Amino acid sequence: MSRKVALFATCLGDQLWPEVVQATADVLQRAGCVVTFDPAQTCCAQPAFNSGYQQEAKAVARRFVEIFERADAIVAPSGSCTAMVHRYPHLFRDEPAWRARAEAVAHKAFEFSSFLVRELGVTDVGATLRARVAWHDACHGLRELGVHDEPRALLAAVRGLELVDLRTGEACCGFGGTFAVKFPELSTAMLDHKLSALDERVDVLSAIDSSCLMQIRGRLQRRGSRVRALHLAEILAST
Amino acid sequence: MNARDAILGAVRDGLRGASAPPLPEPNATSAPLSIEERIARFTAVQQKLGGVVEVVADRRAACARIGLLLARQGAAVAALSDAPWLAGVADYAPVGCELLAADAARERLLQADVGVTGAQWGVAETGTLVLASAAERHRLASLLPALHLVVLPVRSLLGTLGEAFAAMQGAAGAPVARTLTFVTGPSRTADIELTLVVGVHGPKALHVLLVADDDAK
Amino acid sequence: MNSMRPETFAANAREALADATLTGALRRATDTFADRRAAAIGAVPDWQELRTRAAAIKAHTLARLDHYLEQFVANAEKAGAVVHWARDANEACAIVRDLAAARGSKRLVKSKSMATEEIHLNAALAQDGREPVETDLGEWIIQLAGETPSHIIVPAIHKTKEQIGELFVDKLGIPPSSDPQVLAAEARTRLRAHFAAADLGISGVNFGVAETGTILVLENEGNARMTTTLPAVHVAVMGIEKVIPRFADLETFLRLLPRSGTGQHLTTYQSMLTGPDPTGQGPRELHVVLLDNGRSRIVADELMRQTLACIRCGACLNACPVYQSIGGHAYGSVYPGPIGAILTPQLQGMHSAGTLPFASSLCGACKDVCPVKIDIPTLLLELRRRAVEGEPAAAPGAPASLPTRRKPLEALGWRLWSWVTRSPARFRAASALTRLGQKLPFAKQLFGPLRAWQSTRNAPELAKRSFRSQWRGPVR
Repeated sequence: MSRKVALFATCLGDQLWPEVVQATADVLQRAGCVVTFDPAQTCCAQPAFNSGYQQEAKAVARRFVEIFERADAIVAPSGSCTAMVHRYPHLFRDEPAWRARAEAVAHKAFEFSSFLVRELGVTDVGATLRARVAWHDACHGLRELGVHDEPRALLAAVRGLELVDLRTGEACCGFGGTFAVKFPELSTAMLDHKLSALDERVDVLSAIDSSCLMQIRGRLQRRGSRVRALHLAEILAST
Repeated sequence: MNARDAILGAVRDGLRGASAPPLPEPNATSAPLSIEERIARFTAVQQKLGGVVEVVADRRAACARIGLLLARQGAAVAALSDAPWLAGVADYAPVGCELLAADAARERLLQADVGVTGAQWGVAETGTLVLASAAERHRLASLLPALHLVVLPVRSLLGTLGEAFAAMQGAAGAPVARTLTFVTGPSRTADIELTLVVGVHGPKALHVLLVADDDAK
Repeated sequence: MNSMRPETFAANAREALADATLTGALRRATDTFADRRAAAIGAVPDWQELRTRAAAIKAHTLARLDHYLEQFVANAEKAGAVVHWARDANEACAIVRDLAAARGSKRLVKSKSMATEEIHLNAALAQDGREPVETDLGEWIIQLAGETPSHIIVPAIHKTKEQIGELFVDKLGIPPSSDPQVLAAEARTRLRAHFAAADLGISGVNFGVAETGTILVLENEGNARMTTTLPAVHVAVMGIEKVIPRFADLETFLRLLPRSGTGQHLTTYQSMLTGPDPTGQGPRELHVVLLDNGRSRIVADELMRQTLACIRCGACLNACPVYQSIGGHAYGSVYPGPIGAILTPQLQGMHSAGTLPFASSLCGACKDVCPVKIDIPTLLLELRRRAVEGEPAAAPGAPASLPTRRKPLEALGWRLWSWVTRSPARFRAASALTRLGQKLPFAKQLFGPLRAWQSTRNAPELAKRSFRSQWRGPVR
């Protein structure tokens, strides 16, 4: 089955981790999708929205809607950005015309792992990675999109990979956008609690969100840990 | 404008034109449990909470048992509710144990070691005793002493909380008593480091006598 | 800890994090509660239906609050209760002070109640030399220590048993002990004397039943039963949002509240009081003080109204990673944690508490555990919007209030961000500039947010080439 997929790279993916976006595209193509990338895209508007600047967020969200409303399916390597798109109807609740367009776009916006499993019915993407991997349930994916089993199913099918249960798997990593820089000590304390469950059995801590991984990686590197932070797409693209 | 009119006015103005979602129909739970199942569940929950439950044959046996428990407790003063049949306790109370009536002075009641009362209903699923103040004067006797002995007819043991709420509401909709109290186990606290301490202000121990045949005199 | 204000949340949080005893105690407590809650709701197959039902009952009641309040008052008065109305904290305190003064009450006891904390009733009564003795063990400890509660359900959650033991040695002159059994036994003895002598008892109200005029007070220790039974006068302070339509609705809420709060299937005691008890076993007088104090304003706001559905179970505190890390005092408000972060700014106003909605990573754990399904993250986001845009007009034609979060540089930054981000050309140009900028020595030290990031974490760098500049088109 071939699905046309409009890739939403996310602003962080585009600018900081192009390899994650490329891995996302590679896995989708391997799963039989025709992947397009519209270079007019920028950001989902979440940073401004979460900071209270809804007018500024709306301007960016409108652009997103215009760019993506002709797509069949929009797939992003991020639960958080996808959840933001799902919030557009709320953002435009007082503007009926935009609200309707936002609903249409939200309806076809998918997070990468759940798109593979729920929409394509794929769990084995032919990946191989010899590593012991612990999973971080990124909050917005977990609680707003209900993403929980999908990435685990995908990881279970990776050859050589051992999934290690993490006691603090569902705990927030403390990123929270500008929260991480408004309250750096608090944000880090939350992260350190999360990381306190890591032990020598773990080589890789993985998630569906690059923003969480930026927070996690930054701290692991600062602490000189040998544990690597990898996006799910990077694992699934490994052969 | 007085406070009542100001507050109600503000609420009314604020809600002008507001649409209210429908109120769900009352959904009183019930469970078709046999007497044996109700006794078993009630007992299991009480035991988990630190309560003791035993079944006695009839009211006379209950009074005899109470007498024995008062003796075992070494009770000097016992506070009794005004349930008429508790008069039978006097026949079995140990020598030297003073029995206080429900209308005894407050200071005396505060000195009681044991409180003896009936309960109007029990709830099997939650291990709860329901005390209705209109049926019996037991508010103080069930609260002040360190040990609370409760007598409950087995036929008053209901299945669920829903059945209890139905029973507690009279035909006209008003509660059957001005004071209705649920008691589920002994008094407890976990306010210090979440460590369980049983018996902080209310009774430290709860002992329930289920009366199998309540028709006895 | 007790002089903390919401305005200084960031500094409060730093102070809390530096206290290893506090953070250790908090983590143990919130973990324990979360585990107990999970076990308790695991045994209820229809948990989600119960939540949906409770949320629907609350939504309905709040949207018809005037009707249900009038019904509640009529039935409570019919049963012989005296109902008083208080627009704000001052009025509420004045009512209780007057009641106590008119009866010459000398010895007051009080059971745990968030509403009385909210109006600072103890301090008001203390002005007349009538400060009530707190009788809930945790509240009593806090009162002895001269502190404020740090948790809705477990007020002394921040104190270790050793600290409480030292407090008892200091204030009560008992031999040293850190055994909770010994400490609780001491409390039982000491508070008995207060109960015996009390002439006026003050409680809160968990639920007020419109249909019957009944108030329900829920507890574990028996101190609320003492407080509402022994003194000749009982004064119950009740927020106007506590009313529910029917007596039978109590069942739904009793199934939800204890499981969410302490993980119990039911707390030990529920007292359901319908007017004073004519059997002479309880107080001769029952007074209900209905408290507005900002609630009627919240009712009027369609989106924010759900804030008032809260049944004060404390589950959102225990589930919140921010609360787990710093506890309740850092919020600087009577209501801490996620519920405090949405309730306090609405009760007190954004001027004093406008920081609290920002004190969240928006992880959503609070919404997941809320027994009445309050969408706390959405309300946090809305309050953030109001902090930067100003509050909506209070009435049609009235002016909207000014933003409380007046940070011109921040606002300018977001306007600039929005202008850049809605054009791919400007976005490309800005990222190219950033790529150049990050090569400059000290660049990371110059930019405030990056400096904050780097205080604890390594910062990422922009990739040499963005994805958009590498994309070669779809593979066919």
